[in-house]
Amino acid sequence: MTIADLDSGQRATIKRIDLSHPSSFRVIEYGFTPGQEIEIINKSIFNDPLAVSLRGALIAIRRNDARCIEVML
Amino acid sequence: MSIKKPQEPLITLVGPPNSGKTTLFNFLSGKKYKTVNYPGATIEYSITKFLNHFDITGNLMDSPGIVSMVPNSPDEKVTVENLIEHPEYGKPSVLVVTIDASQFSRHLLLAKQIINCGFNVIVALTMNDILEDKNLTINTDTLSDKLKCKVIKVDPRTGTGILELISEIKYTLKQERGSNINHIAFEEADIISIYKDIEEIENTVLHHTNVKKSDLENANMGLFIKGETKSLNRPDNLTMKIDSILLHKYWGIFIFASVMGVLFASIFWIASPLMELVDSGFRYLSDLIVSGHNHHWFSDLLSSGIIGGAGAVMVFLPQILILFFILGLLEDSGYLARGAMLIDKPLSKLGLNGRSFVPMLSGFACAIPAIMAARTITNKKERILTIFIIPLMSCSARLPVYGLLLTFLLPGKFLISGIILSLIYLFGILTSFVVSSVINKYQKTFIKVEDNSSFIMELPVYRIPKIGNVFKNTYDNAYQYIRKAGPTILIFSVILWALTYFPNNNPEIKNSDKMTTEQITKLIDAERISGSYASELGKFIEPVMKPLGLDWRVGVSLIATFAAREIFVSSMALIFKITDTDDNLNESLISAMRQARIGESNKPMFTTSTIAGLIIFFVFALQCISTIAITKKETGGWRIPILQLFIYSGLAYFFAFVVVNGLQFLGVN
Repeated sequence: MTIADLDSGQRATIKRIDLSHPSSFRVIEYGFTPGQEIEIINKSIFNDPLAVSLRGALIAIRRNDARCIEVML
Repeated sequence: MSIKKPQEPLITLVGPPNSGKTTLFNFLSGKKYKTVNYPGATIEYSITKFLNHFDITGNLMDSPGIVSMVPNSPDEKVTVENLIEHPEYGKPSVLVVTIDASQFSRHLLLAKQIINCGFNVIVALTMNDILEDKNLTINTDTLSDKLKCKVIKVDPRTGTGILELISEIKYTLKQERGSNINHIAFEEADIISIYKDIEEIENTVLHHTNVKKSDLENANMGLFIKGETKSLNRPDNLTMKIDSILLHKYWGIFIFASVMGVLFASIFWIASPLMELVDSGFRYLSDLIVSGHNHHWFSDLLSSGIIGGAGAVMVFLPQILILFFILGLLEDSGYLARGAMLIDKPLSKLGLNGRSFVPMLSGFACAIPAIMAARTITNKKERILTIFIIPLMSCSARLPVYGLLLTFLLPGKFLISGIILSLIYLFGILTSFVVSSVINKYQKTFIKVEDNSSFIMELPVYRIPKIGNVFKNTYDNAYQYIRKAGPTILIFSVILWALTYFPNNNPEIKNSDKMTTEQITKLIDAERISGSYASELGKFIEPVMKPLGLDWRVGVSLIATFAAREIFVSSMALIFKITDTDDNLNESLISAMRQARIGESNKPMFTTSTIAGLIIFFVFALQCISTIAITKKETGGWRIPILQLFIYSGLAYFFAFVVVNGLQFLGVN
């Protein structure tokens, strides 16, 4: 399960980052690291991008980029 | 041989976007700085001296915001390389890293990386008030120990902590520790382990402040107490409340559309009287010079060439000022990032980005400010792609041309004309989608940039925009436009003037007894352009015009439109020797056009098919030297503007040819 599969308002903990995804490095740099809790705050009208709460910040991220962040509920 | 001056020390400010870096820079420099490009790149940075009372001899540099020392795009690569060693100012003696205290754990990544690289670092902790609102505080002494560098809380809006920062900079400079910089290549695992360190640091330095709010709030605040901050650190409450409306699934897009509507209306309608004011100001100046000189070529060069050219530069100023002022307000308040998020999905399908929307919309008013506004797009590929398609947005200068051509085609039928005009706009938009997709597919061939298209960005906390910064930013953009694009526009304007003026610069007018002075002047102008180099050029390209059913006279007008598209109408009037005053210029021009014949034949030149062809031509053709000049400046070279010129002129000609001949084949004349 990845962040892209979550609904608005759902919280989850990051399990691992898929390093084969081209955006993985960027995602890690923004602070999406294993063990962090995240929450889906909003989704744009086309369900993409997502607004995710992470480390006290709100991060907008495209679903495609979010697919490399594996989470557990 | 020149003796090399001992170089002054360089103090560079580094920090993630929205970390208060520029506000700090403004405070230290007193907002007196120059904005320069990195050598060979379009990325801008600011350089200045410290204000006198700080008593520091050295250069102070503000660098573009970066998230990490690992570059993610060609632009970031240049930024990081210049941070390590600037070709002109050398290696930085001190790096001041700004960190937003409320974004502590994310922003500390960059600081840790920079410290690991071996720079002399001072950490400036900003936005402490936001953290305090959450009843949290950071112990700077412990943090200094952990990071092995000085950490100082500053508030560049009030000046708190600045003196401490200044004395620490002086202290570090005096140490003359040669910084031993290794450019470390960070891997994913390194970043994750740095974050692990950061989380440990966070647990020791982040403290819960004294409880002073009401009990109920305390209960809520319990969620944020140290130790649990890691597990549930939510963004600022007010921001979350505002976002529940502004990022609402349906309301959000509606509000976005309204905000963009206001933006568009401002650059279209509010700017228009101001532009007319600028225009008439320059026309007044130019008339002033001509009067009493009886059309000597030199006074005409001054009035039409130079002052006219300067007017062509300045006429865009109102739009640029208004656009960048509103854009600055939206950016500074934190809304622009949200707008980009809302509209990102459909644009990403075309290889563009949510941030492409504002520039594209602005393109309907004028391509010049629009292309400049594309600067907010961080991804280079998406920025160049956006700039590439902006000329296809039907700019306001094309309106008078469409107006003339549609009135010719459908005299008095306003409703149908209106519908066709909308279709013309729609056609331009659809073409831009196609062009964007095609160029995106072959990006290696066309734009020579390959960026991994991704969209990850911070949605900053909502803040009341700092008007001073917004004004300064607006002024900077306007100044850069005038300084960098101005000369090119001016030079081309003078060349165009010379082409339409010489060699027949002093034609004789016969039988002028019954005419008014104004009519004589117009006739002189008309005779002059008929015998000019431009008309020779027009005759030279006549074989190209023939397949479109047009002759050299339209060719000359099309050449003249490179100064500005709306000039088409007045240059057509000149070439068809219309001597009427402005009021009924369109009418007499249209009746002259109806009588125009091709060469010696009896065939009318302007028919439904040729006019439709001309309209299609104007949809595509990049006839605007100002656009070419600004694109050259913003993309850092001639490659993109020349590519655009060829592709759009080619498309214009091809489609005009197809329309004219297709319609004639179908029996429509």
